[in-house]
Amino acid sequence: MTPTKRIQAISAALAALALGTAASAEDVLKIGAPLALTGGLADEGHKQELVWKMWTDKVNAAGGIDVGGTKMKVEIVEYDYQTDGQRAGQLAEKLINDDEVDVLMAPFGSGHTKIVAAVAERYQIPLVACVASSTSVYDQGFKFLFGTLAPNTGMTEAMVAEFKAKMPDLGTVAIYGRDDVFPKSMATATSDSAKAAGLEVVYDELYPVGAIDHSAALSTIKSLEPDWIYMTGYTQDLILGRKQMQDLGIEAPIITMVTGPAYKEFTDGLGELADGVTSSTWWHHATGYTDVAGAWPSTDAFYQDFLEASGGEDPDYVHGSCAAALDVVADAASRAGTIEPVAMRDALAATDMETFYGPIKFGGNGMNQGREMPIIQVQGGEIKILYPENIANAGMTFLK
Amino acid sequence: MGLAQILANGVVLGTLYACIAIGFSLVWGVLNVINMLHGSFIVLGGYLTYFAWAYTGVSPVLILPFVAAILFGLGYGLQYLFINKVVSAPVLTTLTLTFGLDMILYNLMTVWFTATPRRVSMDFGRLDFWGIAMPVDRLIGMGLALLLTALLFVVLRTSRIGRAIVAVRMDREAAALMGIKVNHIYAVTFGIAALMAGAAGSVFAMVFPVTTNLSGVFLGKAFVICVIGGLGGVSGALVGGLALGIIESFAGVLIGPQNAITVGFVLMLVLLIVRPQGLVGVKGYE
Repeated sequence: MTPTKRIQAISAALAALALGTAASAEDVLKIGAPLALTGGLADEGHKQELVWKMWTDKVNAAGGIDVGGTKMKVEIVEYDYQTDGQRAGQLAEKLINDDEVDVLMAPFGSGHTKIVAAVAERYQIPLVACVASSTSVYDQGFKFLFGTLAPNTGMTEAMVAEFKAKMPDLGTVAIYGRDDVFPKSMATATSDSAKAAGLEVVYDELYPVGAIDHSAALSTIKSLEPDWIYMTGYTQDLILGRKQMQDLGIEAPIITMVTGPAYKEFTDGLGELADGVTSSTWWHHATGYTDVAGAWPSTDAFYQDFLEASGGEDPDYVHGSCAAALDVVADAASRAGTIEPVAMRDALAATDMETFYGPIKFGGNGMNQGREMPIIQVQGGEIKILYPENIANAGMTFLK
Repeated sequence: MGLAQILANGVVLGTLYACIAIGFSLVWGVLNVINMLHGSFIVLGGYLTYFAWAYTGVSPVLILPFVAAILFGLGYGLQYLFINKVVSAPVLTTLTLTFGLDMILYNLMTVWFTATPRRVSMDFGRLDFWGIAMPVDRLIGMGLALLLTALLFVVLRTSRIGRAIVAVRMDREAAALMGIKVNHIYAVTFGIAALMAGAAGSVFAMVFPVTTNLSGVFLGKAFVICVIGGLGGVSGALVGGLALGIIESFAGVLIGPQNAITVGFVLMLVLLIVRPQGLVGVKGYE
């Protein structure tokens, strides 16, 4: 072989190789995901990882998604960002530049989503967030960011209206929240919604992160005899709070804990004491959506698959929202007929679909607007849905 | 709301705080070691109690001695095998060692038990008297805390090993010259501290949901209590714990719960400036 021929042969081989990779790259929708698989948010990161694997396994087994007439497989490229926000941003850049992903999924929580959103915006890659509910993430003018959770305020207004309807003489509320991003924003939003609806907020205080005793605050609340006690915090705070209410003999017709009953650990830790506690959540597996689009035709179909995949654990809203986020991506790719990022972004903005997780329709800021978030209550150790009407499966009971 | 209720809340919380701090104070006072493992020992005690209760249904009060014995063994072993090698090094060295050991223990517990909050859900009920509502489980906790503290006081005062611990605390070299096996005494002291932490964990499992990320909170409380109360004796932890409990209880009502913890730290700062040995501490141990 002469040197010229050798060069020709090598070029031909390289060209074939390049064509080959180009062809296979076109048949795969690559989704990048920086995940907190170690560190403080590891539990939440693993929840995202689990449902995304369930989703891709199910969709790929069915042949993939239909994009402009071709069936495309879906591949998730994930990296562990070790619960370090800055690292999440760096890995998002790596996913875009090295792995050439077509779409990004945001990590857990509003703070880390904000960091990744700035990167996605710079490279003009669509980003779907499934666990970021603070409006402050979405009011930055980002055009490529979409979120499947609805704003906190939507939750609190609906709850105040519903409780007033169920208990017409509801007059006073005591609000006691953890001084931390999400619990604090829920406490503030509830206080505002309650005042707007004409309720008297008789107690409105925060407790610090790391509080291991609530007797001082609860004793004050007891003396105020409110109709409604609203406490926010993480599971451990809420278990302790509910128990201390019992210990101190505090009774109120309505006790709400956010997001306590949305997690199974809450009812497990409290036993009978959990009974009657109300809460709001973005999603609960008892919500019975049927005949919907996406990988699962109904909430129950998702629930059954989840039980199998998790070894019998119940899913929470993180699982639901994150699995549905991939339904949104697949739906947008199908409607766009291409996986080109700008076309995908426009298709995402026009999303209007029903999933097992509920309706998804993004508002102008990219947050899901089309949702009536369930109000739930623990009744006889089970989670019952009180609201919205169309999926409610129990009437509200009062604790006093 | 009644003054009596606030005070009662504070006293009960304070004895539980004392229970947290007593082992930490002992190790700090006798070994001059800031034991970063202390919070995790309490959490371990809590978990052992929870699982023993969940599988056998035996009352946590009866489980407590067994948990305490296990923790004594663990503490003795850790001190004898690891900490004794560096116990006479500057305080930063031992702090680093116990910090490292704590990371191992903490992460092992997170892997074994997960961070899910677990609670011994036995309902002991509540007593109402003089307008005060008082949960029985906290009263049991308070009783156990006082009993353990008294027991330790008596052991340190009257028993041979107790006198040896006090002797080592006063003067290590002189104690060694009197024939006291210093390394053994150090290990016993560390073991007793772990025992107290384990017992505190058992008490806490009845009152609080136990989860691994409480270990830092317990350690922080122990630190503040020791600085407030003072080192060098059993009474320091008791006085410091009660003071912190009562202050947090009143501050929580008067200036709001989010500032109650800050008040404890401000008190600690003031004491460090005006009375570094603590409220009842012996001068020379600060």
